[in-house]
Amino acid sequence: MPPPIINATNVVKNYGGFRALAGVSLTVEDGEFMALVGPSGCGKTSLLKILAGFEDLTDGQLTIQGKDMRGVPAAARPTRMVFQKLALFPHMTIRDNIAFPLQTAKVDPAMIDRRVQEMMVLMHLKPEYLTRFPAQLSGGEQQRVALARALISNPSVLLLDEPMSALDAKLKKSLQAELKKLHRELGTSFVLVTHDLEEAMMLADRICVMVAGQIVQIGAPMDIYRSPANSFVAGFIGETNMLPVKVSRGGAGFVLAPKVAEGNPVVLHQDRVSPEAIGETGLLLVRPEDGVFVDGPVSADMWTLRGVVDEKFTKGASTQYRIRVPDLSQNFVLETSGYDAGHIQIGHKVTIGLSPANCYLLKDTP
Amino acid sequence: MTPHKRSLLDPAVLISSGPLTVLLLLFFLGPIVLTLLLTFQETEFYRLQWAWSLKTWSGVFSNPTYWTVIGRTLMFSVESTVICLLVAYPVAYAMATRLVQYNHHIVILVAFAFLTDAVLKAFGWVLILDKNGIGNWLLAQIGLGPGVIDFLFTPSATLLGVVYSLSAYPLFTIYLSLARIDRDLILAAQDAGAGRLRIFWTITLPLSKPGLLAGAVLVFVLSLGTFLESKVLGGGKSPLASELIRQTFETRVNWPLGAALTTVLVVLASAALAGLGWLLARQNRKGAAE
Repeated sequence: MPPPIINATNVVKNYGGFRALAGVSLTVEDGEFMALVGPSGCGKTSLLKILAGFEDLTDGQLTIQGKDMRGVPAAARPTRMVFQKLALFPHMTIRDNIAFPLQTAKVDPAMIDRRVQEMMVLMHLKPEYLTRFPAQLSGGEQQRVALARALISNPSVLLLDEPMSALDAKLKKSLQAELKKLHRELGTSFVLVTHDLEEAMMLADRICVMVAGQIVQIGAPMDIYRSPANSFVAGFIGETNMLPVKVSRGGAGFVLAPKVAEGNPVVLHQDRVSPEAIGETGLLLVRPEDGVFVDGPVSADMWTLRGVVDEKFTKGASTQYRIRVPDLSQNFVLETSGYDAGHIQIGHKVTIGLSPANCYLLKDTP
Repeated sequence: MTPHKRSLLDPAVLISSGPLTVLLLLFFLGPIVLTLLLTFQETEFYRLQWAWSLKTWSGVFSNPTYWTVIGRTLMFSVESTVICLLVAYPVAYAMATRLVQYNHHIVILVAFAFLTDAVLKAFGWVLILDKNGIGNWLLAQIGLGPGVIDFLFTPSATLLGVVYSLSAYPLFTIYLSLARIDRDLILAAQDAGAGRLRIFWTITLPLSKPGLLAGAVLVFVLSLGTFLESKVLGGGKSPLASELIRQTFETRVNWPLGAALTTVLVVLASAALAGLGWLLARQNRKGAAE
């Protein structure tokens, strides 16, 4: 395997007395799409700025393409940044904006023209935009200009600081699709900072979840969704149901006995248990799609919960039910795929069935 | 939303805009019209004669002395504008970038100097610039020979006084322009490989143009009316337009001529304002003002 393009080891960043990054280690493989996610103030933007070279790291080490980046200015790094508010130069034409990095590098004018043309085509920008000013373009078009400016000098790593946060939902979706396609076509490594987990799930090869200046979990989107490191990560991505369970160690792994649901003790495989979950009790993470409505007897390895439908949302391709279960502090969220047949309505008494062996055991939150 | 056009006769419009309209008519438009009317009158034995004629104007256009003074005033205003901008820009730049934490201190100091009475400031400079004044005394203390500062009662002293009085205007307009520049633009330029000088020339300076233009017009227009400094610091040896107008009104008691010279000055100032308006509109069309 080739060496990672970015290798950050124990990166610490202090702003005055505030510790924004408390020892972060992260690698990004060549050509990988990495998303940094987390709540505001978790340090994801600080990390991106350190990668870009806008901020020095207080302690730790950062290498990009095997070279130590300490003291290397932004311009000398093989990285280019797309800013949150795009930072297009308002007084320059689209052409001058896109050409700016090559002009500062004193590239031959004919070559600049050719590259600008290539970028206009790559980013699906109409040729007549060349002479316009950023304010004359729509939000989505400005976005593409910003990408074109960042990509014109062929960076090895493209850094994206929540560039789509200001767009409306529909435009966002189409640009996300374009970004993904762009990544596939160019083979450039992308590092995207976002607080939108859906966006991270859709786009990234791997997601790095950060909280309070530390990395909580790095993994493929599905791993983070199915096997979150803790209940915070679980709740950060998608809807969750947390079922209290009794835990004891058995031969092949952990034996779970329900505390709220009805059913037999079940053996949970080692890899369905969070490394943290070692107490005598735990929380079983049940995703909305893990639950089903059952009617009559169930198989021996299934657990059941009884409740009353409190709310129902029809989403078209799926339907979400929020079910009040007497011993659960929060409504159980259950999602069924396919069209709503309409036979379960608000107020109906229902029985929820779930297979605990498919779920994931998390540490009890104190 | 469809634009809702209100009739000027709408009582609400009349009541809300009434006081301002009356104020402007009485104290702005009124004096201008009066001045214009005066230029078409004559004087005889120091008395104003209401006899409609173009005599005053033909006198203004045929006498080169007036134009020498007006030309000198224009040159003086250009000089003071250029120097004010050169003085104000670095300070404003420092306030917006390096010295952000000292902003309030700088603003208080500048405002203090700015709000001090103009006469007091002018005489303050006399104390410093006088041959036996504080300036030369201080220089003597560090071993610089006697009489280094020797330009009181020269045009340069006038210029110094005016620059001191007026630099605060461009300082604030430029500062506001600079402070509005998104820091990410500078980072983006850095990221794209631009050095400090290039960033300044291609990003910072063009984006601070509105502040530069506004400051320039303020200083230019106010310099055209320089009166106090040329009298106290310049010694009245090479009078500027305001002094000429004062003399025409007070000493020569020729009101029509004074009014005509005033009109010329007002037209020049208006032309400067119109020029700025045009430049700013062009800038806006380019989308620089977002």
